[in-house]
Amino acid sequence: MLALYRCLLWLYPSSCRREYGEEMTTVFREARAEIEKKGIATRGRFGLREMMGLVHGAFVAHLRLLSGSYSWAVFPTRRFTMHSEFRFPKATAFLMTVILAGTVLAIEKATAIRASVRDINPPHVGPIQPAHFTFVPTIVLMLAGAYAVGLIGWAILFALKRSGVHRLSGMQGSE
Amino acid sequence: MESLPLTEPVLLILLSLAGQPRHGYSILKDVEAMSDGRVTLSTGTLYGALRRLLDDGWIERVEEAESSRGRQSYRLTSGGRRNLQMEITRMRRLTRLANMRAVPKEM
Repeated sequence: MLALYRCLLWLYPSSCRREYGEEMTTVFREARAEIEKKGIATRGRFGLREMMGLVHGAFVAHLRLLSGSYSWAVFPTRRFTMHSEFRFPKATAFLMTVILAGTVLAIEKATAIRASVRDINPPHVGPIQPAHFTFVPTIVLMLAGAYAVGLIGWAILFALKRSGVHRLSGMQGSE
Repeated sequence: MESLPLTEPVLLILLSLAGQPRHGYSILKDVEAMSDGRVTLSTGTLYGALRRLLDDGWIERVEEAESSRGRQSYRLTSGGRRNLQMEITRMRRLTRLANMRAVPKEM
């Protein structure tokens, strides 16, 4: 198990691994020494928890490295882990419905356009390709698409954030 | 910056360090004991939280001559202690509010 632990430590960014790797391994060794006296189910749970913890920790460390912060505003995971009473907000359901409706409408529109230009673009001609395919505009287009998707995702997460905690802080203020 | 309200694991880590400086394994055991075995941190989770708290200046490493790289102790900074106190005050207010609103008054 120690070998696997050391392997998974390589998922962390090198700076993180250098700073905490040895210390984490020491703590893992101590925890494992204690757990070895217990049953196989407890040992299994311990192993699984440790490995999952490493994978999650490595993901967060990389995210931190990329964004310069933990970006909890973008990935507010603790809102989900801390509040078991969490309910799916109506605003999010509404937003998701709007996105779904938009997608369906776009597909419908595309189908209608395709049907209307059938005579102009007969099947034996094949799909129309751009005369000059350039790399940079394609990349810019892809980035714009990714940005739009990210913005929609952020909007959903923002709506999720404004759930129970928001209401509680409002109550506290009115105390 | 670690923001309020704190997650339960982070709060328990800070409470563990409030009494005395501790090293990683000692924090793990103390958190487990404080939560009656309900919160069991993995080393990945623990060191993710410690790193964040170190970066935000809530905790600091204890400089000990005999401390090796594999056994490093941590303690609360004055800023970390102040923030912990703020969180406790926030929770106390919330509990008072809950008692006023949710607990039925005696007839």
